[in-house]
Amino acid sequence: MRHLARLLLVALATVALAPAAAPAQNLVVQVATEPPGLDLTATPASATAAVVFYNVQEALVKVDRHGKLVPWLAEKWHTSDNKNYTFFLKRGVRFHNGRELKAADVKFVFDRALNPETKHPAAKQYEAIGDIIVKDDYTITFALKNTNANFLLTMARQGSVIYPREAVESLKSEPLGTGPYKLGEWVRGDRIGLVKNPDYHVKGLPKLDRVTYRFIPDPNAALAALKAGDVDAAMFGLGPEHIPDLQKDPRFQVIVGETTNDVIMSMNNSKKPFTDVRVRRAVTYGINKPEVVKGAMFGLGRVLGTNVDPLNPYFVDMSGAMPYDPMKAKKLLAEAGYPNGFEAVLKVAPQYYYTVRTGEVLADQLQKVGVKIKIEQIEWGQWLSRVWKDADYDLTIIGHAEAWDVGNYANPKYYFRYDSAEFQKLFQESETTVDDKARRELYVKIQKKLVEDAPVVWLYIHPRLAVTKKGVQGLWKDLPAPVFDLSEVSWVK
Amino acid sequence: MRRYIARRVAAFVATLFFVSGLVFVVVRVLPGDPALVIIGPEGSPEAAARLREALGLNRPILVQYAEWLSRAARGDLGRSLQYDVPVGRLIVSRLPVTLPLTVMAAALMAATALPLGLYAARRHRRAGDYLAMVISQIGIAIPGFWAGLLLILLFSVHLGWVQSGGFAGWSGGLWPGVRSLLLPAIALGLFQTAVLVRATRSSVLDVLYQDYVRTARAKGVSELSVLAKHTLRNAMIPIVTVAGLQLGQLMAGAIILESVFALPGLGRLALGAITARDLPVVQGVTLFVASTIVLINFAVDLLYVVLDPRIRYD
Repeated sequence: MRHLARLLLVALATVALAPAAAPAQNLVVQVATEPPGLDLTATPASATAAVVFYNVQEALVKVDRHGKLVPWLAEKWHTSDNKNYTFFLKRGVRFHNGRELKAADVKFVFDRALNPETKHPAAKQYEAIGDIIVKDDYTITFALKNTNANFLLTMARQGSVIYPREAVESLKSEPLGTGPYKLGEWVRGDRIGLVKNPDYHVKGLPKLDRVTYRFIPDPNAALAALKAGDVDAAMFGLGPEHIPDLQKDPRFQVIVGETTNDVIMSMNNSKKPFTDVRVRRAVTYGINKPEVVKGAMFGLGRVLGTNVDPLNPYFVDMSGAMPYDPMKAKKLLAEAGYPNGFEAVLKVAPQYYYTVRTGEVLADQLQKVGVKIKIEQIEWGQWLSRVWKDADYDLTIIGHAEAWDVGNYANPKYYFRYDSAEFQKLFQESETTVDDKARRELYVKIQKKLVEDAPVVWLYIHPRLAVTKKGVQGLWKDLPAPVFDLSEVSWVK
Repeated sequence: MRRYIARRVAAFVATLFFVSGLVFVVVRVLPGDPALVIIGPEGSPEAAARLREALGLNRPILVQYAEWLSRAARGDLGRSLQYDVPVGRLIVSRLPVTLPLTVMAAALMAATALPLGLYAARRHRRAGDYLAMVISQIGIAIPGFWAGLLLILLFSVHLGWVQSGGFAGWSGGLWPGVRSLLLPAIALGLFQTAVLVRATRSSVLDVLYQDYVRTARAKGVSELSVLAKHTLRNAMIPIVTVAGLQLGQLMAGAIILESVFALPGLGRLALGAITARDLPVVQGVTLFVASTIVLINFAVDLLYVVLDPRIRYD
């Protein structure tokens, strides 16, 4: 009996002294919107990018957390004439199905994007590509039709992810890629689970074993889930009104950072009275932007002067270029033939909470200079049809989340209906100027021209507001691209 | 009875035909283009136009409807534009959430409203009656979504008894699934319970002073028997009518509460589909809900026969 007891003790001690397996690192993340499909080559939806881009699928080039373009699935690139770009692929990169990534895959991806049959939402971005030549398994050259200063950026965009050609049919529901996580499950309407890719091409990453995205659309429910401990991080679901309280709560850490999401009030430049630049300037002078940020965003968000955001390397701070000046606004309106002001309808989509709140503050401010605004709330599908597609509006508020999107102002058919030959020329020049200094100068001119013509009112940058439990580390503070990179995220041990 | 059932089936088919035609026209007349919603403002209008063509949305609406109808008649409700899976499969995958949620809310409604209504009627114009009426007034006044948030705050955030939202599924056993539907079912059933308390009370009051109840009491029948056999059974017809209508309303209420509790049910599917202009899903869900409501009404009609033997359908 004593012998048995001794044996048992030894067994227990062995179990106790054995190195314990590292606990699994799991993260449950709240997101407000379920992706409308997981195919980045079929939808530009940010909800899809939040799950798939950088986490499941990657591109040859990556925008890193500092906004810099770095080689990713390509080890490096080379160009001698800014027209022929040769990419040298990283060796040993494997897709989630185990097959190695080769140059032929890259060619397949871009041939497909260029094929109108495939309905790639950003096909226009690839029009500069003339020819794609596979030199060997790890070397591929893109021959451009013209010099294109944005080519590398295009290669880093979400529509440029590399996937295995054999998985092309199932991209919408089971995307395969080279990313740090593989798709585990998608329970439609409830959650998406990602699992660690043990063969990831960056050593030591990812650090998490499992990531679960839970779709919680209601902001108050998201807050409750966070406080009840049911989710570890709320990424896009919480509003600025939740932040002050959470900042005081020792259980959480709050990340407030910059984004590329420019919140603007657009004026229909093809519709009276906004055809007159004096009216557009008057509206700009009639708006007290710091007060807008305070009233609509609880003071979170940076006042903006033009469409180039602070994370862009060519950003010039123009926020003080046309400061709040109601007297000047009234004078300009009188000069334009509206001494008593005018009435206008502001269309906003309540799906984006900030548009309604911002509209209410703006309506109050503009009334003081004689512009009487009637706010009309319309549903998002209607906004896209009536405002964005048909430009059937006077005023509207929306956030433009795309980085490097100043080109919208060079498109007279875009819903701003801003048509300036001078601006279009400047923009075209910037697109074909590769020299950094010369391009910067062009971007300064672009920004000055925009301020002068005031086609829209640039209000503020919508801040990045993320809240996590204490102990979650490795998240990006700023979002120089609308992505949600989880590769370096982990729990503090 | 056979002829009655045949008539009801014909009415059922006609209702579905009418509802499907109406929804088909309404969702297509609504401003908003599915292709634009899918492509979003970052995509180009050319890409949206190509997608619209591929989705077959450029064809005349009658052609689209005829095609949809012929496939629906064969049990094929089409494919979801946003999920790219068959609509039928999508609806079936959401039923394990919405059906138990509705059943639980209905059970709660019946288990609370009937005794409380009966009690209030028995205590007519006394303290118990007033108390029951105040409680039901509060239930009517509190919107379901707000009640849901209050329940989450109390039971999830402060007490930590149940999860704040989400659905545990049925694979882990009965209890985890029931647990995750408990708060939503209470929030969903609150308003309808309050309404049913009032309906029960007034219906029972109508019967309570009838001659046959007085006679039963005079004969010395026990009070319990008077209430159960003579009163409640005779008061049941209006109560069942109201409850049948309420079952349909519970399904509609699920749309909001499934969002508050982040439940992957039919209501949230419908809401997301409307926002995303996922027309085949909107169509499919509407058809399903309409069929369910018609079937519930049919069941209520049959129940009348059981409750009141004088009712005959032939």
